[in-house]
Amino acid sequence: MSTLGRILLVEDDPKDVELTLTALEDYKLANEVVVAHDGAEALDYLYRRGNFANRSTDNPAVLLLDLKLPKVDGLEVLQQIKDDAKLKLIPVVVLTSSHEERDMVTSYKLGVNAYVVKPVDFHEFVNAVKELGVFWALVNEPPPGSVKKD
Amino acid sequence: MKSAFRRYGLAVFSVSVALVISLVMQRFNFRAEFTAFLLAVAVAAWYAGLGPGLVALVLSSVLFDYFFLEPFYTLYVTASDVPRFLVFLAFLSLLTWFGAVRRRVEQHLRQSRDDLEREVMQRRALNQELAKRSGELQATNKELEAFAYSVSHDLRAPIRHIAGFTELLQKNSASVLDERAQRHITMILESAKRMGNLIDDLLAFSRIGRAEAHKTIVSLQQLVQEAQSEVAQEVNGRNINWKIGKLPSCYGDRSMLRLVLVNLVSNAVKFTRTRPRAEIEIESTNHNPDQIVISIRDNGVGFDMKYVNRLFGVFQRLHTSEAFEGTGIGLATVQRIIHRHGGRVWAEGLVDGGATFYFSLSKSEGV
Repeated sequence: MSTLGRILLVEDDPKDVELTLTALEDYKLANEVVVAHDGAEALDYLYRRGNFANRSTDNPAVLLLDLKLPKVDGLEVLQQIKDDAKLKLIPVVVLTSSHEERDMVTSYKLGVNAYVVKPVDFHEFVNAVKELGVFWALVNEPPPGSVKKD
Repeated sequence: MKSAFRRYGLAVFSVSVALVISLVMQRFNFRAEFTAFLLAVAVAAWYAGLGPGLVALVLSSVLFDYFFLEPFYTLYVTASDVPRFLVFLAFLSLLTWFGAVRRRVEQHLRQSRDDLEREVMQRRALNQELAKRSGELQATNKELEAFAYSVSHDLRAPIRHIAGFTELLQKNSASVLDERAQRHITMILESAKRMGNLIDDLLAFSRIGRAEAHKTIVSLQQLVQEAQSEVAQEVNGRNINWKIGKLPSCYGDRSMLRLVLVNLVSNAVKFTRTRPRAEIEIESTNHNPDQIVISIRDNGVGFDMKYVNRLFGVFQRLHTSEAFEGTGIGLATVQRIIHRHGGRVWAEGLVDGGATFYFSLSKSEGV
């Protein structure tokens, strides 16, 4: 547990944010989570604009992306990331309530790295978030240029 | 009426013209009456049909005889002229007959054309109606899809929150809650879980109606095995005697048919829970050469045949959820899938005497 990647959580629902953070905290994976509350904010973060103009230049190790977001929706954020040579290496995990095949297929076509349906059951949800956190922020070697915290 | 007048008029007119031409030609010592009358009869029969043709024939014969056969200006026929007159008559008759036949054929054709035209118009109207209906259906389907989408997305979120925060409450504040409050928390969690299951099942049910069926050759034997391993957890530690017969293959959507068997097998397992030794028998009862009929028999709690019609309805349950858990969508899903495959589902049961579920599928092409 020496290095932890930074997680960018894109989620509009504060309750979901709290539940996700709680799950990550339980496993001490939450010391490097940045929360964006809509698609536009997520893009601001990635492009270091607005509130995030002064952040360090490293990319997050993983982006946990909800699909149904205000302003710019999740699929659009995904498309922009995967269309941009500088951002396309960032692993993106869609974390959504949507079971719809359409969303899943579109996400994969756009090049998503994983697609996770938020389980209704809290234990399963915590488990899913924990596994995502452990895998992407800890186990996975992120592409060069991502932040790793020692 | 007017057309009949016209047709007979044409006969009289053409014969008159022939007579005038013949008389004029005669002045110049040129005998044209034979040809002229033939033409007149031909025209009448050709354009006006059998009746006018016959009229022209009679008129022509009389006029021919009267003006051009000796003795002139009588209707008397001398013996030497009989052959000539007969040839004339024979020609005329033949022409009349040809003309009449042609006209009849034309009439038939015209009638067929009119019929066809009428049919085309009807088809066009039908097609328009169909296109309209299909448009309406598409709109309804879109609406339904949007509905299912928001159910899947928007309704699940609050349930997850209820369950999540209640769970956190239970975990973090257990020490300050008395037994009653703890019990209430458990109830909230159970309800949230049940609501989640209901939404998932309902969505799966609605997806079956919308999803396209991908039909392949499916081994029912294998599906039963998969269904058995799916319910392995429920079976754990129970005494179940499985009797699986030899099952055929069929032509259908694999994942849908799998769902059918999983539902029916897990029902059989569920409703035999109270039995010390459960008997579950799955076999193919094949009496009809065009059909596959599969039966799933159990010795469970059964049901009253008086409620058999409610069995396959959405959210219909015959047991309390304390006795047997479930959302009441399983059998509705089964029925929907089998109907989509052109088959039938039915059931027989006896209170406390077990139940048998049957479904039929048409025999696959090429198996």
